[in-house]
Amino acid sequence: MPKEERYDFVIVGGGPNGVGTAAYLAKCGASVCVLEERPEAGGAVENTEPIPGVRITPHAMYMYAGPAPAFEQLELHKYGFRMDWSPQSKNLAEQQVRGVATTQGLAPITDKDAMGWAKISGMLTDPPFIKELLRSIFWCPPHPPEIEVTAENVPYMQVYKRHQPDVWTEELLDMTMFDLMDEYLETEPIKVMHAMVAWYSGAAGHWEGVAIPALGCDITLTIYGGISVPRGGMHDYFHSIIRCAIAHGTVVRTCCPVDEIIIQDGRAVGVRLRETATTDEKKIWANKAVISDVDVKQTFTKLVGPQHLSTSFRRKVEDISLKGGSIWVSHLLTREKLRCRPKFRNPVSGDDAGLGPYPCDSRAIYYEHVADVDGRRGKPTMPPERLMWLSTPGDRFDAADPQCTIPGRYLASPYYTYVPPPEYTVGGPDALDKVKEEINAYLRKAFSQTIENLNDDTLVHHWANTPYESEFRNSGLIGGTWCGTRHCDDQWGENRPIPELARYRTPIERLYLCNQTACHPGGLALMAIPYNLMHILIEDGLAEPGKWWYPSPWYIPQKGKISAVPLHAGGK
Amino acid sequence: MSDPLIGKIFDEFPDESNWDVVVIGGGPNGLIAGAYLAKAGLKVAVVERRYEVGGGLATEEILFPGYYSNMHAIYHMMVDYMPVLQDFNMNRHALMWLKPNAQTGMVFKDGQSLLLTRMVEDTKDSISKLSYKDAIAFGKLMRKWRKIVDEIIGPATYIPPMAPIEISMAMQRTKVGNEMLELVEQSPLEIITRNFENDRVRALLLYTSCMWGLDPRETGIGMFVALMLQRGVNKCYCDGGSHKFAGALAREIVGSGGTIVDAAEVNKIIMENGRATGVQLAEGRVLRSKVVMSTLDPHSTFLNLVGARNLPTDLKESIERWQYDKWSYYTLHVVSKEPPKYACDDPWINNAFMVIFGIESTEQLLAHWDNVVAGKLADNFGGHATCESLLDPHLVRSPKGGYVSFFQMHAPYEIEGGWEKKGKELEGAVLEKWRKAAPNMTKDNIIMTSHETPAGIEIRFPNMRRGGIKHGDYKPIQLGCFRPNQDCSSSKTPIEGLYVCGASTYPGGMVLGGSGYLGANKVAEDLGIKKWWKPTKPMEQYIKTYLE
Ligand SMILES: Cc1cc2nc3c(=O)[nH]c(=O)nc-3n(C[C@H](O)[C@H](O)[C@H](O)COP(=O)(O)OP(=O)(O)OC[C@H]3O[C@@H](n4cnc5c(N)ncnc54)[C@H](O)[C@@H]3O)c2cc1C
Ligand SMILES: Cc1cc2nc3c(=O)[nH]c(=O)nc-3n(C[C@H](O)[C@H](O)[C@H](O)COP(=O)(O)OP(=O)(O)OC[C@H]3O[C@@H](n4cnc5c(N)ncnc54)[C@H](O)[C@@H]3O)c2cc1C
Repeated sequence: MPKEERYDFVIVGGGPNGVGTAAYLAKCGASVCVLEERPEAGGAVENTEPIPGVRITPHAMYMYAGPAPAFEQLELHKYGFRMDWSPQSKNLAEQQVRGVATTQGLAPITDKDAMGWAKISGMLTDPPFIKELLRSIFWCPPHPPEIEVTAENVPYMQVYKRHQPDVWTEELLDMTMFDLMDEYLETEPIKVMHAMVAWYSGAAGHWEGVAIPALGCDITLTIYGGISVPRGGMHDYFHSIIRCAIAHGTVVRTCCPVDEIIIQDGRAVGVRLRETATTDEKKIWANKAVISDVDVKQTFTKLVGPQHLSTSFRRKVEDISLKGGSIWVSHLLTREKLRCRPKFRNPVSGDDAGLGPYPCDSRAIYYEHVADVDGRRGKPTMPPERLMWLSTPGDRFDAADPQCTIPGRYLASPYYTYVPPPEYTVGGPDALDKVKEEINAYLRKAFSQTIENLNDDTLVHHWANTPYESEFRNSGLIGGTWCGTRHCDDQWGENRPIPELARYRTPIERLYLCNQTACHPGGLALMAIPYNLMHILIEDGLAEPGKWWYPSPWYIPQKGKISAVPLHAGGK
Repeated sequence: MSDPLIGKIFDEFPDESNWDVVVIGGGPNGLIAGAYLAKAGLKVAVVERRYEVGGGLATEEILFPGYYSNMHAIYHMMVDYMPVLQDFNMNRHALMWLKPNAQTGMVFKDGQSLLLTRMVEDTKDSISKLSYKDAIAFGKLMRKWRKIVDEIIGPATYIPPMAPIEISMAMQRTKVGNEMLELVEQSPLEIITRNFENDRVRALLLYTSCMWGLDPRETGIGMFVALMLQRGVNKCYCDGGSHKFAGALAREIVGSGGTIVDAAEVNKIIMENGRATGVQLAEGRVLRSKVVMSTLDPHSTFLNLVGARNLPTDLKESIERWQYDKWSYYTLHVVSKEPPKYACDDPWINNAFMVIFGIESTEQLLAHWDNVVAGKLADNFGGHATCESLLDPHLVRSPKGGYVSFFQMHAPYEIEGGWEKKGKELEGAVLEKWRKAAPNMTKDNIIMTSHETPAGIEIRFPNMRRGGIKHGDYKPIQLGCFRPNQDCSSSKTPIEGLYVCGASTYPGGMVLGGSGYLGANKVAEDLGIKKWWKPTKPMEQYIKTYLE
């Protein structure tokens, strides 16, 4: 008979948020077991080499997590973490020189555009307050339920008030990112470009009340992270997190799907693994808590039995919206390095297969794309000349970190395009997959608007992972989106994903959530959820971090709980 | 990294760092060496060129998107002996081995089949269809060979090499030892034709003995026939994919305080005053260390990384003489709606771990292998297939469902027309051959395919030069204490501070867990570190019987 297995914490799902949480808890001295159903941990932060010498990134590509306290608190550099910085990464002036891609060619960015953008991004003060701004947006748990959220206590509002009071206005809380840009920028294409970057990074430019979160998604990538990539790809950044967790004693098990969260007397006490799990012992017990990195819907419809939940709660979970952008990712292997058409050539770097968002002529195009993605629920209807898409530079920046090592072959990857979520697609979830080749050809036509040499002669392979496929490969990617549940005001901050779950606690005692779909601030491998959740676990007396811990300066402790502010820093 | 405007962004792994041990290459051997030494308290860094450790222990989504395959090592033959599996608590990492009874099937055009099983009597039942005499001979031989492997070859794999003369003397101490010596002098072909009469039985046993690179007509390697056949019916599958083994080892390293640096190609072993003192990465970072352990092939380690001009002449010449594997492999991976169903007289074949087809006789097999060695491929090829999904439910992650399988055959590194073209052409030819053996492998049944050629193996792993999966040929002058040469086969090299412990060092290639283990032992001894591990029981017994 195998021994009974017990840990302080059992974490279901080995994505970046599950493993990041494990790293924090293990560093507190707790015993932690992470159970992942796939052969490899990492969730949507993964690498693959489908043919020898071609390394593609099916999902996460870019480093958005730059301001994360985790770099300091978990000391990720000790675990091999390195970056491959883009040569033009930090040079805002160069980014300005390049202009914005429209159907007419590169549209100029004016000084007013640049200064306005720098101002709202926290770059005009000395020193800049961008890091503080970003931390206030992402790295702070939602306020406790007894606190009324006001223009005075929303963390980013506090930051503006302090550092850039002329930007502060109560309306910031109601604006869309377009509204914000209309106030500070002047030309349309740059506004459309930023709205696209924000939409493809989290919160869209046209959603009400999330202007600053949308701005944050954009600038944490473009300014703070310098549009750069960890060396070896995002999965290697994940490696530094998982190795930190393991170095502090975490046990990680792959091929161990969890079928049930065991609940006794209203309290989560452990999990039951699927019979195919590669362990002898199929039940694993948690002394302190079970934490789910499984998406919020499956957590409450599959893992927690319905007898433990009220009907109205279950209904709310079922209604969480998966709309907002499901992502079709293309990877192109070619015989020639892809070249921009002359009118799109980057005056800074010369040729460049990647153009960021295209076409950024006007928000009319943007809205057409929105309607296709979230309104029409079928095949894309836009002519390929107008279809919006977003790409990245064709290869990594440092020649020592290549994505393609086959002589005479070039990889341009990934290209992102939004399509309707499989869950709501007319014709069923696999309707678009059935015409995958047709859609791929349509996309290549769209990409060819800016690329002059993408054709049957140069193309060796066009891989695509569709939203529906992504959902299966990684069952956390519900809706095939990259954030799982949309970051609209109704599902953000104190409302994410529903108010009852906003502080990572659940109706089940000792069951907590850490998946992007379930937690503020949602998608992107930011190491924000693990950090934010730490505040809550400390409040509940489950985690006791050492001196390395510091809480968010905007954090408000919940009444009647232990404060996550350490005693030496004035906590109670 | 620091930004002129924003200030410090975050810390990265340092440009210069200091270690006790730097291991080059995170394949099975590098990981094993690292795991032992990290647990011994040394400050260890394993540096891996790819974005993922594992080397030949790879389970990746080459049928992208949605299907994982074991692109390289899948048949684990030494699980029963590897010290690393006893010295570490691998259960902790959910590492589980499956050893199916139905091990290797072979199907013929006329529907006849043969099946090698873990349980000898089941195999004898199958062979008796063709030759009752061979069935009996097989039973007797396997009994004898099991002793040779259990008592001698198995444990000796994890004990430093001896000179041939020392081995002969030691072996003469026992009956089993003498039986092994008798084998050594015969070629695989001789051993098999001498003991078996039926040609199909011979073909199956010859394939099983030589499939990993023995020359069927070469003498001096006969004991490998015993090893390959005996281990060939004891192959294990790593549940969840071979990469789980690598993952478990990596966790042991990190759990003991070691560091793994991936996406990090070493482009230089730093030499100071004739000593190896660290490595430099292609990106420029430097890791300094007391000891550098390389698991790469001899040309990479010595000619490229140390540099020919830093080598003593003898060593340089011996390295230049190194011969890479005489053949490589072509693998076609497929996803099908149904698993292959072989048209043959034994339904058990459908569940076999490995199924050989396309080979009808020893003559054809030898002709095919001769072709391959001569750099050709003709229609007479055959090979082996495995349906991984029958063993492993974790590989399929696509809404389309289905089964993952592969077909693998011996193939030359260089081929007329080049592998890019030939690789595609072969897909059709392989599928046609497969369809003949398993009629349901029709176009309709196949969802997706992907292939890996010898050239591709080398692109993925530059250290598997010429697609050589063992980093160098198995021939008497490159085996035992001659692997890679007499100066280096104990893992220590004539260059102070430099050790070698990959597949090109004794005991050799495949996932034996030998070179890395012996490398760790040697480094621990040389650094004066107390070993926390002891030889396994069979190793102790072997030492007592033959060495003391
Ligand atoms: C196309 C795309 C592009 C992206 N680009 C970026 C980018 O450039 N930068 C960036 O920072 N982020 C990016 N992201 C977002 C980022 O990948 C996700 O936000 C992140 O992976 C979320 O982490 P998670 O841990 O919450 O969930 P997941 O990554 O979904 O992990 C959940 C894990 O739980 C496992 N699991 C599910 N059910 C079970 C069960 N029953 N038992 C056991 N295990 C289970 C899953 O297999 C999975 O490993 C992108 C995402 C997509 C899809
Ligand atoms: C197609 C195929 C099928 C096989 N099937 C089997 C099987 O079924 N059973 C079996 O036992 N064996 C099998 N093998 C053989 C087995 O995989 C190898 O013999 C074994 O992996 C060798 O282990 P190693 O650690 O010595 O080297 P490797 O596994 O080759 O690892 C060496 C590592 O070094 C890395 N590296 C290379 N250059 C550098 C550099 N400059 N800097 C840093 N790192 C570098 C590589 O990326 C690699 O990870 C197969 C191999 C192949 C290719």
